[in-house]
Amino acid sequence: MSLEGKKQTLLNNKYRYLSWILGFLFFVGPFAFLTTLVYFAIGNISSPDLHTICLRMPLDWVFSGRIYNLLGSPVMTGFTIIVLLIALFAGPLFCGWLCPVGSVSEAISRVLPIPKKFKLHIRDTNVTRSLRYGFLKGFILVSILVGIGYAGVSGICCRYYPSSVLQNLVNGLLTQPSALDYWHTGAILVLLFWSLIGGIFTFGGRGWCILFCPLGAASGLIHTIGARLGFYRTIKNEKYCKECGSCLDVCPMWAIGVGGSIERTLCINCKECVKKCPAHALNVVWGKVKKS
Amino acid sequence: MMAFAFAMMLCLTLYSGVYASSLGKAEIVHFWVAVPAGNVTEPMTLRGAGPPISMAPLTIDLDARGLPKKLLNPDVEAISTHWIYNLGKKPIRICLDLVNVTFPIEWEVKADWPYDPSTHTFTKPLPPGQRIPGLSVDWIFKIPAYYMDEQVIYDGGLLILDADSGQPLTFIPIKIVRGGTTVPQGGVGSCH
Repeated sequence: MSLEGKKQTLLNNKYRYLSWILGFLFFVGPFAFLTTLVYFAIGNISSPDLHTICLRMPLDWVFSGRIYNLLGSPVMTGFTIIVLLIALFAGPLFCGWLCPVGSVSEAISRVLPIPKKFKLHIRDTNVTRSLRYGFLKGFILVSILVGIGYAGVSGICCRYYPSSVLQNLVNGLLTQPSALDYWHTGAILVLLFWSLIGGIFTFGGRGWCILFCPLGAASGLIHTIGARLGFYRTIKNEKYCKECGSCLDVCPMWAIGVGGSIERTLCINCKECVKKCPAHALNVVWGKVKKS
Repeated sequence: MMAFAFAMMLCLTLYSGVYASSLGKAEIVHFWVAVPAGNVTEPMTLRGAGPPISMAPLTIDLDARGLPKKLLNPDVEAISTHWIYNLGKKPIRICLDLVNVTFPIEWEVKADWPYDPSTHTFTKPLPPGQRIPGLSVDWIFKIPAYYMDEQVIYDGGLLILDADSGQPLTFIPIKIVRGGTTVPQGGVGSCH
């Protein structure tokens, strides 16, 4: 994309990119303004960071049968419920507009000038969806096996966790350089797949979100239900579509198929396609829409 | 193609759980702590005012770590706990100490409980049957290069004291070795 094109994209999606900054300041320590406010309100004296709103543990607890952990971590549990409820009514907005993990990798991908030919991009949405839900099913199976005490596997939510990696990077850069001293194998693999392969060398920079985020995958499923019920979702008006393919080239979640169909389980209502479409064939709508 | 993609990702995820299980025995080993338990010389399960807690001496084999760790970050290792329970009958102010330290060990402590980092003491008494809420303690061992070829790199342990009386409550021996057996603890691989 030319410099002029990048500038236009930046202007078109300025609210989304500003929202990324807000998400970062809301949830990533030492800022974590939103979680600090919540902690203050409930009288918790510790300093929250990105780990406070774990994107994985509550789901792991549900499937491993550790419901008591859900009750003992009201902030984390409440956060997960809110994210899923928003996904039902308005689409996975947390994923597209606030999540620091996804926004950092997408931002890296957008800023670094790596030619498209060097970036991974699966254009068949059925394959992408299968990969995403193959992971989710595996995540659930691992949680169940850990829950029943099978010794051959361990939980994968903490061992491979990009939020910890991101928070450590921020700590190392801003407050505590020694945070960068210790890297376990899982953290090294996550850094490699989240920022390098899934970020820099993946089209859209959301390789981790698409393939390895259980909360994102669950949000996608719930958004599918919400869209069927008529809640907010992105739709394409066939009447106006010129089949130029520009929507395909901007969707960071690979949610638009070659034929222009939108794969609901991948779409995060980021509106990149809506802003890019020269024919205004894409819109985010609420309620029932007449077919054209 | 879709079925293949689904099955491939499912297998990869299951394998990552198996791999995590092997890593959990040698890298950032998580363990449980209960007081008072005395000297933990062998695997034991303690029953008292709170839930049953399993503990054992820790032996961390640096040779059993994952390849990326061995290649990229070999001389730093860590252990961690999220669980310190008071299984006794009276409230205790808990003080932590690592003994026989011969090289730098960094403490990273977070808790929803008052903590004094200069003395490694939780300044509020922990009632019987309760755990320190929101706890995360990581001990990061920065192993000097000249220790890396030793058979036994660290041979000490975690001592938990009653901060008011100075009496030892629990001692968990910790060894860091090159080659040998690792002893997984309760809680390894689980999330909090």
